[in-house]
Amino acid sequence: MSFLAGYVQYIGSFGLVLIGLYIVLVKTNLIKVILGINLIDTGVNLFLVSVGYIRMGTAPIFSQAEAAGREMVDPVPQALVLTAIVIGVSVVALALSVAIRLYEHYGTLNLCKIRELKW
Amino acid sequence: MVSPMLLIAAPLGLAFITPLLGLLSERLTRYVPAAAMAFNFTLGLLLLPRVLREPWIVETAGLRPPFSIHLVAGPLGVGLSLLIALVGLLVSIYAIGYVREGPVAKYHTLYLLLLVGATGMVLSADLFNLFVFFEILCISSYALVGYRGDRAGIESSAKYLVQGAIGSSLILLGIGFVYGLFGTLSMADIARNVDSVTPMKVFISMAFLITGFGVEAAVLPLNAWLPDAHSSAPSSISAILSGIAIKAGLYAVARVVFTIYGADTMPMLVLLVGILTLLVGEMSAFSQNNIKRLLAYSSIGQIGLIVFALGLASASGVQGALFLVVSHALAKALLFLSVGYMIYRTGSMEISSLYGMGRRMPVSSLCFTIGAFSLVGLPPFIGFAAKFTVIRAALAGAAPLLTALVAIVLLGTVVEGAYFFRIVQGLHFRPPPEGAAPEQTDQYEAPVSALVPICLLAAIIVAVGLYPGVLTKYLGPAAMDLLDKAAYIHHVLGV
Amino acid sequence: MRRALSLIVLLVLAVGLASALRGPSVGAEARRASLIDDDEVNFGRRYNSRAVEETGASNVVASVLVTYRGLDTLGEVTVLFVAATGLAALLHTGRRRRSEREATPASLIVFTGCRFLFPLILLFGAYIFAHGHLTPGGGFQGGAIIASGFLLIYLGCRGRQPESKRLSAVESLAGLAFVLIGLIGLAVGGSFLLNFLPEGSPYALLSAGIIPVVYVFIGFKVGSELGGIVGDLSGAR
Repeated sequence: MSFLAGYVQYIGSFGLVLIGLYIVLVKTNLIKVILGINLIDTGVNLFLVSVGYIRMGTAPIFSQAEAAGREMVDPVPQALVLTAIVIGVSVVALALSVAIRLYEHYGTLNLCKIRELKW
Repeated sequence: MVSPMLLIAAPLGLAFITPLLGLLSERLTRYVPAAAMAFNFTLGLLLLPRVLREPWIVETAGLRPPFSIHLVAGPLGVGLSLLIALVGLLVSIYAIGYVREGPVAKYHTLYLLLLVGATGMVLSADLFNLFVFFEILCISSYALVGYRGDRAGIESSAKYLVQGAIGSSLILLGIGFVYGLFGTLSMADIARNVDSVTPMKVFISMAFLITGFGVEAAVLPLNAWLPDAHSSAPSSISAILSGIAIKAGLYAVARVVFTIYGADTMPMLVLLVGILTLLVGEMSAFSQNNIKRLLAYSSIGQIGLIVFALGLASASGVQGALFLVVSHALAKALLFLSVGYMIYRTGSMEISSLYGMGRRMPVSSLCFTIGAFSLVGLPPFIGFAAKFTVIRAALAGAAPLLTALVAIVLLGTVVEGAYFFRIVQGLHFRPPPEGAAPEQTDQYEAPVSALVPICLLAAIIVAVGLYPGVLTKYLGPAAMDLLDKAAYIHHVLGV
Repeated sequence: MRRALSLIVLLVLAVGLASALRGPSVGAEARRASLIDDDEVNFGRRYNSRAVEETGASNVVASVLVTYRGLDTLGEVTVLFVAATGLAALLHTGRRRRSEREATPASLIVFTGCRFLFPLILLFGAYIFAHGHLTPGGGFQGGAIIASGFLLIYLGCRGRQPESKRLSAVESLAGLAFVLIGLIGLAVGGSFLLNFLPEGSPYALLSAGIIPVVYVFIGFKVGSELGGIVGDLSGAR
């Protein structure tokens, strides 16, 4: 059990990445593929946060009551995750607009039926 | 006040106000990218002599590196941003007349941001910052590929986006591992600490970064998006994607491999991947009937050659690779631009519909010929000098295996020559297809705003081909900027 | 076939990820004991111990985002800008105003409720981004809250949408202001995004130099951009 306690956040994040990747590779519906991309993003973000985590650490915010108390977690991965979330949102938004246009052209979102170019 | 930071900040500020200008007058926005790139080109020329003496370390937020994001404007960074500004400037002049339909203001905003992303990538010395600029480049190119909104454009945009998004996630995983291992994101700082962890962990983080950036660089197993994306985009965007965007991906891979992980010998695998990419690209190009797909596959072939040259991992090999980067950026931009109006006039991308163009569009056809010959590597064009440098570097060690690989490279060049000669012959010596418009030379030829950049590119290709010394004297310092890890760490961290 | 191939890819990836974690050297927890744990080298240690005196902001994440890694944040704002512009460009040529097909108008209760809630949501968003340097939150979070207000308007009060021209003007001006603040730092102290304003006393609203100023601009920019994205995707713009 002690093994799990140290690694559970990594297992969870990599699990999300692998599930997302499986969806992207196997599913043929573009909306599902976009959801898969979103899952991968979530997993990667969780991984970044857990890289900076220190057990029993607090959020890296000082306050008047507690100027220096418990150990704080690493603030850099949190800043990176904020950036990564925004990038992920941008990609997903653009992907959804592409999906809307694709549906207008083909009347379907099934990637197997959209074969004007070679996939 | 003059600082390499302006290479990023000034175009970015201009890109932000472009939509505002677009509200005033849509015509005005067409000149914004050209103005921004002219500024960058001038500033780059001003900075070049200084950074050749010593790299300019640009700090942000008033803190010494590595504790805030910093840029390293070395010979390589400033040199590549000069190349980006030059090609970007010429293509944006072309686009003034070429892009007429659709949301023009948004096109120019996205185009300028794409170039900002590429410039930021070559200047940044922070791994995560490199990734952020990479994303700016990628996301604007996803949107620009689908700009025309036709079936092919949207479909290839979707394909490019899905593959690119997975690549970005892999990069981010790699960055997470790097930060977890070293607690730092500054490339120089990582490079200094890289020996303190086990090789296995180093290898895994490196593999994620290389695979992720490799998607944009279109190295062999990861390049399924490229032919569609480059052939369906508007021609001005194809020119930039082929000329600049893939090179930015390759730069990131090379920076990670050489500077951060300090690889001084490459496994044979890299050479083989390069050769395979070259062969697959050239063979696929040979069998194409669509002119833009052909050019896109030929880009893959050239990328293979550049990877091969980088894989030699010697100073002369990297010099050759950089020379190829310059020559391919110029020649491929020229080819896509000159083909752009031919496609626009005939309304078809079939090679057979371009037959007889030499009479109807003499200037464009002549410039296309120059670009094609340069790409094949005929003297006196720039491509000859570049390929010659690479082959000389490969034969320097006189290793039998390398000699065999050089023979395969030459075979690839023969294939390349075959399909380009076929097109050039069709352009000049075949009769136009049945039902083509009658010869009205003055109306058929591309407009002046398109001919100026095309002729300038052709002139540069010939001029540098005749006097390669203009360029080669900068290649040595630039290659050392990439290869000399100790000097890089010393300049950035002062240790 | 495809399924088998992708399972093989996943397996390789999983083995790679697992072996990267073997042994105690990934993560801040593990680095506590290792050689490179020293606030002269380690980013996190250094920021936690010095950020308050260096920037005056009690939220260390905010000071990392706006000063230490300010260029990333500028890039991040740009990425969102690229996505908003690209999305509008892609949807531009497509369908003609699908919103104009008759939508059932919202009932009076929904309509009034949305109009009542909208200013409160804006106020809350403004609170979040104005206090970003003191409490959890900041420009992006505040901007996202503002965008949720716009979403409410798009859903409940059709016909009262924000004018897209104004949204894009706010977007452009806020982005330009961010770049200009950075350039003032370059002109004054020779380094981009330098914190050139006085730091003030910690824990006060007006402290931490440029951090709250930048956060206000980011809040405006993100709010208008996400609002625009929501509007574009719902076909209202």
